[in-house]
Amino acid sequence: METICTTDSNDMDEMRLLLRNVSKFCVRPSLLLTVLLGFTKDPYPNIREVALDGLVELSSCIVVEDQSLIEGCYFRAVELLFDCEDSVRRSAVCAVSEWGRLLVACNQDQSKKEWSDTVFVQLCSMVRDMDMKLRVVAFDALGKIRMVSEDILLQTLCKKALPATKEKTYCGQLTAKLLTLPASAAAFAFVHGLEDEFHEVRRSACRSLCMLTAVSAEFASEAVNILMDMLNDDSVVVRLQALETIHFMAISDHLKVEEAHLHMFLGTLLDRSDSIRSAARNTLQSIKLRNLAMFRLAIDALMKNLEFYPQDEADLFLVIFKLGRTHGKFVGSIIREVFQELEPSFEGKLAFDNARTVALLVLAISVPVSFERRICTVPPQTFSYAVIQLGRISRGLFDVVNQDTLLAYLSHCSRFSLVSDSEFFKGEEPALQLEKSDVLLCQKSNDTSEAHLTSPLLDSLANLHDRVTSCAKIVLRKISDIWRLIDLGCMGEVIQTLRSWKEELSKFTSDSPQTVGVLAFALQYIHVIKLLGKVWTRILSSRNLRYHGMGVLEVLLGKIDKRLQDMRYRFIGLSREEELHLLEIMLLSCVLRLSYLETCNLEASLKKICTISSRVENLCKEEAIELSNFILDLQKLLCEIGNSSDGVFENIYLLQKSLKSFSLRQIVLSGEIKHLEAELNVLDNDFQNPLPFISGLPVGIPFEITLYNLTSEKRLWLTMTVDGTSPQFVFLDLHEFEGCDEIRKFTFVAPFYGTPRVTYFSLKVCIAMECLSEDVQLFKDYEGPKPELSFLCKEIEVHLSTPVK
Amino acid sequence: MAIECLVLGAGQEVGKSCVVVTINDKKIMFDCGMHMGYLDHRRYPDFSLISKSGDFTNSLTCIVVTHFHLDHIGALPYFTEVCGYNGPIYMTYPTKALAPLMLEDYRKVMVDRRGEEEQFSSEQILECMKKVTAVDLKQTVQVDKDLQIRAYYAGHVLGAAMFYARVGDVAIVYTGDYNMTPDRHLGAAQIDRLQLDLVITESTYATTYRDSKYAREREFLKAVHKCVAGGGKVLIPTFALGRAQELCMLLDDYWERMNLKVPIYFSAGLTVQANMYYKMLINWTSQKVKDTYATRNAFDFKHVCSFDRSLINAPGPCVLFATPGMISGGFSLEVFKQWAPYEGNLVTLPGYCVAGTVGHRLMSAKTPAQINIDQDTQIDVRCQIHQLSFSPHTDAKGILDLVKFLSPKHVILVHGEKPKMATLKEKIQSQMGIQCFDPANNETVSIPSTHYVKAVASDALLQSSLSPNLKFIRKCSERGSDFGGLDARTKPGLKVFR
Repeated sequence: METICTTDSNDMDEMRLLLRNVSKFCVRPSLLLTVLLGFTKDPYPNIREVALDGLVELSSCIVVEDQSLIEGCYFRAVELLFDCEDSVRRSAVCAVSEWGRLLVACNQDQSKKEWSDTVFVQLCSMVRDMDMKLRVVAFDALGKIRMVSEDILLQTLCKKALPATKEKTYCGQLTAKLLTLPASAAAFAFVHGLEDEFHEVRRSACRSLCMLTAVSAEFASEAVNILMDMLNDDSVVVRLQALETIHFMAISDHLKVEEAHLHMFLGTLLDRSDSIRSAARNTLQSIKLRNLAMFRLAIDALMKNLEFYPQDEADLFLVIFKLGRTHGKFVGSIIREVFQELEPSFEGKLAFDNARTVALLVLAISVPVSFERRICTVPPQTFSYAVIQLGRISRGLFDVVNQDTLLAYLSHCSRFSLVSDSEFFKGEEPALQLEKSDVLLCQKSNDTSEAHLTSPLLDSLANLHDRVTSCAKIVLRKISDIWRLIDLGCMGEVIQTLRSWKEELSKFTSDSPQTVGVLAFALQYIHVIKLLGKVWTRILSSRNLRYHGMGVLEVLLGKIDKRLQDMRYRFIGLSREEELHLLEIMLLSCVLRLSYLETCNLEASLKKICTISSRVENLCKEEAIELSNFILDLQKLLCEIGNSSDGVFENIYLLQKSLKSFSLRQIVLSGEIKHLEAELNVLDNDFQNPLPFISGLPVGIPFEITLYNLTSEKRLWLTMTVDGTSPQFVFLDLHEFEGCDEIRKFTFVAPFYGTPRVTYFSLKVCIAMECLSEDVQLFKDYEGPKPELSFLCKEIEVHLSTPVK
Repeated sequence: MAIECLVLGAGQEVGKSCVVVTINDKKIMFDCGMHMGYLDHRRYPDFSLISKSGDFTNSLTCIVVTHFHLDHIGALPYFTEVCGYNGPIYMTYPTKALAPLMLEDYRKVMVDRRGEEEQFSSEQILECMKKVTAVDLKQTVQVDKDLQIRAYYAGHVLGAAMFYARVGDVAIVYTGDYNMTPDRHLGAAQIDRLQLDLVITESTYATTYRDSKYAREREFLKAVHKCVAGGGKVLIPTFALGRAQELCMLLDDYWERMNLKVPIYFSAGLTVQANMYYKMLINWTSQKVKDTYATRNAFDFKHVCSFDRSLINAPGPCVLFATPGMISGGFSLEVFKQWAPYEGNLVTLPGYCVAGTVGHRLMSAKTPAQINIDQDTQIDVRCQIHQLSFSPHTDAKGILDLVKFLSPKHVILVHGEKPKMATLKEKIQSQMGIQCFDPANNETVSIPSTHYVKAVASDALLQSSLSPNLKFIRKCSERGSDFGGLDARTKPGLKVFR
């Protein structure tokens, strides 16, 4: 029967308006939900549409713990996926996506996975809809899903039902009448999207694909085939998105490039559009080419790019340099082939006005700084040739190295020109190898630090200790530059750079305690910045933070706090400036926690901020250092919060605003830093040789302990834990052990009391230090450690078992 | 009340599409095609089944033609001019423009070359076209008081349409031939979600699952590029309309991107004329062509020049489009004879070739091969052969997708091969739960139709049914529950934060 409705069109418009602005009225959400659900059955499509939109809006601002309620809303939205009106179906897709997310969130483990797959397949079933906008919305929604079974992902690229998904069905609807949803509904979904007539849909599909390649490596390796074909697309936005997706896959290490792909991919280097060529080059530098043939193809394509589009020169040089650096072993053989071109001709003229020659020179000079530790195979005169083109080259490599450093580097490398070619090609020139890390580390820097940068680089080569320290110092100085990148959200590049610095630093090994301290500090610091960067980018993209980022954010902030605490207490000899620097980062972490994590304890966090900031103020006064803008803002804010009656909750947005004024200061290592460390060992103990014990009686465990840089005032504890119980602490009184503060080595038999009633167990043991600071009160009579602990070594496992008679 | 479907052609076969649907005394003929495989009476649908008396004008309400292919329109002049049908005929604008060309070309081939008896004259074709009413996409045409028809975009060829017809409460869709994936020059089929009693769909590729179109394009471009890079000549035999434009657009784009200078030729004749029509009917092409139209007409091919016979043996590589598609004679056969003996050359074959043509023999042959053109001529074929798998028809997944989207109460399959149709029919019934038929020629399928009965409800009932009365359908066995009268005071699970 057709319903005859008495409302006229005027009334309907009013109702639409009312529903559209539903979030503005203060209606109890429970009532609102009921009303909205009711209107999803309205005979007028416009009303159904806004009712669904209202449900979407509601889903983001209420917390529902009742799963059956969420299911109800979800399935109501699913029903409307088969509405006759395009606009209703569009809103229904959004509603399915949002309520599906809630549904997934309120489940655990296996059922969580199951629901996530269900929502995914349900959305996949909509990508063949005839409405273009709906397809865009559907693909956008697919990209938001974070957890999908690999089988289903693979099915989206295959038209026939795969054996793994053939029989599977989910709760949902395939058509208005069929109330089960076979997994095969997902078949070919992504390919359909990528083949779509409208570039909006193709782009959206490509973007979602990008998100999902992070989920499964196998899916990524299948998807790359069709993605390479997308580079053939006629729309620039789609090609750009395809390149971005490939770039993302390369960064997340899910990209396997075959030679067949390369033809299509390198074709984009000759594209008419500037942005495509630039994106293609950007992607190319992060791709790992497996063999010489592929590398040669890539270099040839870059040369062609240079030939057809000379305006790209500067950028091309950088890409060639970076590519050479990551593929050092191939460059040698290429340079040997083209060496004739680089040599001066018979008339003694150099063909350097030729862009190709300069590009080859750039390739050649990238070898000594290659990441692959290979012996340099480039004839040294090449470096002299490169000096002639210094200006041109350094314009291209501006981002990596400045002109002075480049000159120093080139003249240093060409110094070996006395060595004959033949010797070079035999590959017996280890001397060059030593310096490469210096050059690498000596990356682009501020003008102020320039002068003394190049000198230690070349002059102090003899002294390894100085070199290590100066390298570490250079790195630390550079990090403040990285902050700008983080602020821009270029986390991919930042992580790459930090990783390469970390690799360089960890290559140094040294016994000198000072060097060890500096290195350890630098590594820790890099790690903290990396974590901070991750947090920062998450907050930058804060639109989705509420749904996706919370858990991760909490974990990241937790890690940062732990690391910072370690840095503050496990290094001695930190200057006031250094301490100030660490404190400022600590403050930042507290503010981040307070302003973005709803789960944090407001009072405690605020108190912590106050304590740290007063300490900062004191330090600044003592050293007569200016307070940073961030701290000034924060202090002002704390006053306001203290005065206002609203409480912290109302002022959170102010806190968030104060974050904008934060920028990372340069950290300059001045003093000699010592790292507090411990080594813990139990001789001859492993799974097969357990120590004997009798259950219920205490057991003595002989530990071999080595302590570095720990003075006897430090309060150390052995923490011993059996799985699932609270730890037992044993105090180590350092006065009782021999040795000096620098290194103290001794054997200590520690009693363990709580042996469980089992025949075998393992004990996790670690050495921890009390973090004593001015603001923590100490109670002498307290048993066990009171303040927070900082662990000095890696946890070891001790195996114990009752002896067999 | 029932819908009667009389399948006069394309029942369990491909060729002479013609279905007569009767709804509430309205008789609509969808398509009026001819079978190219027969020369006797079987080439036309058996029109006598419509009306014993031969008074077709009064027994049919209207004729609807979906597109200009001969197996959909070939019998129309015969039916109107010879059999005397004088009622309304509907087709889209491009179809009306291109149909006389196709019919005239066919008439010429039959009469002038093969010397057969003339079925209809040129004047009769023109006379027939005068009776045609052209319709636009999504334009609702009120044929008479009760019958409405509406055309939807179908892809396939220029001007192809699906037709929606409605009499009272009964609505059906006849798809004609359609394509669900867009290609370079035409878009994908596009239709609204309608409340339908019946969908009559083609099923040419009822069991085929085609791979991504990108793979096909890549293969084709690779083969052509390899050939011209080696200095060879490429012969692409195609029909004048459709494939020629599609492949040419693909090559033109590729040439542009790769900066190739090798000439691409179009043999004069129909193809050039057809290009002109494409240029005029931009509105019926793909989104991409429409988007770029502001800057340039995508059918103004940059790298294409017209061909001269003297160029056949000119040195150097080239690409040539020539008609007819299956190398059954004409210019493409002439060029084939010249180019086939050289190893460096390439000949592409369309996905489907009628038995008996040179194309069909090449499909099964392995090069080098000897092929007899006629009793006196034998060709030594040494060139490369590349089989194209481009097709303007949708595949099985596309048919299922369309049926799923429309979710009609019944489906009738036509225009396909019998065993494959049976497989698809089974699939539609089991996967979608929709009743499906695959009638043979001259069979009638009778389908019950919807009929709404108006009932009057009291104001009180309306009030109560308009107020929200929530009830969720139970989806997942016991997990779903009833939320009638839900309230936060009784449901502590609901919390708010803002």
